[in-house]
Amino acid sequence: MKIREYIESGILEAYVLGSASEAETQELMYLKELHPQIQSALYHLEVDIERMAESMAIQPPPDVWFKIENDISELVKRPAAEQLSVTSRPRKERGGRKKEYIDVDSKSSHMRVHKMWRWIIIAIFILGKVFLAFAIFFYLENRQIKEEISDLKSELKQLKTEIKK
Amino acid sequence: MLNIDQGALTENKLAGVRSLYDRHAAKLLGYIFDMVKDRKLAEEYLVKIFCEVSNQFDDMGWDGSWCQLQRFAKHKLMVFVDTAKYTDLGNEEALTLQHSRGAYVGQLTKEQKHIFSEVYYYGKTIAAISIDLDKTEDSIRKTLKEAFAIMRKSGEN
Repeated sequence: MKIREYIESGILEAYVLGSASEAETQELMYLKELHPQIQSALYHLEVDIERMAESMAIQPPPDVWFKIENDISELVKRPAAEQLSVTSRPRKERGGRKKEYIDVDSKSSHMRVHKMWRWIIIAIFILGKVFLAFAIFFYLENRQIKEEISDLKSELKQLKTEIKK
Repeated sequence: MLNIDQGALTENKLAGVRSLYDRHAAKLLGYIFDMVKDRKLAEEYLVKIFCEVSNQFDDMGWDGSWCQLQRFAKHKLMVFVDTAKYTDLGNEEALTLQHSRGAYVGQLTKEQKHIFSEVYYYGKTIAAISIDLDKTEDSIRKTLKEAFAIMRKSGEN
């Protein structure tokens, strides 16, 4: 095989850009090991492609890496959740009817819940605070009214004794 | 003990992905942006691709090269992106828009631009392009090579 012709055929470019067929790729991998010229041409092509990509690069914002890191951590945690073994065991009820129970066996002490629960919990918390404020307000109001009533009662008593005199 | 080993493995994987990210993220974002023409969407795909890199980190045998990452990203983008939406824009205007940021492609002919774009951005095989353009595979490969030579020259200048 004429190596020069092979290099000039454009197969190397097709491979580097990922559009070579499986057979072409295998042939190229084989020939690359045999002929340093092919290896060198391939290396130079890769360098050129990288240089071209560099000229069109866009710096990603700093938070992109944190998103990736976060997603990878989530993916790593997932196999632990997959350790949950779910088994179904048929049991007999009083009436003789079979009922299926699902036993969930997990070693993890954590639980994953839907994100929607965050807002529900926040709403419950805020409503709790509102009810507490109302309760305090009505308690104070009630205490004030009671004090006023006791004052009025004592005034009434005083008036009664004065009238009797 | 097992947990410690797993933690160390995760740390190693994360460090490996970080190294690839530091070296190639900007290039990859530029590449994805040229494909989808939407900065926010391109960033989302960038995150997805690096997560996939992490998933297949042990199986892929990463050599850390840009070309390997770019080929991997292209195959993943074929799955994520509705490429038909973008390949249908195969007119001159779309090609100009796509390459407007790159000085490399300015001197290519319409056919060279088209073939390069189909291969580089949309992962079309030489065989598929030869059917589309009704030309032999050899001539498509030759045109691709010429396009490359022109771009290489314009990059050197």
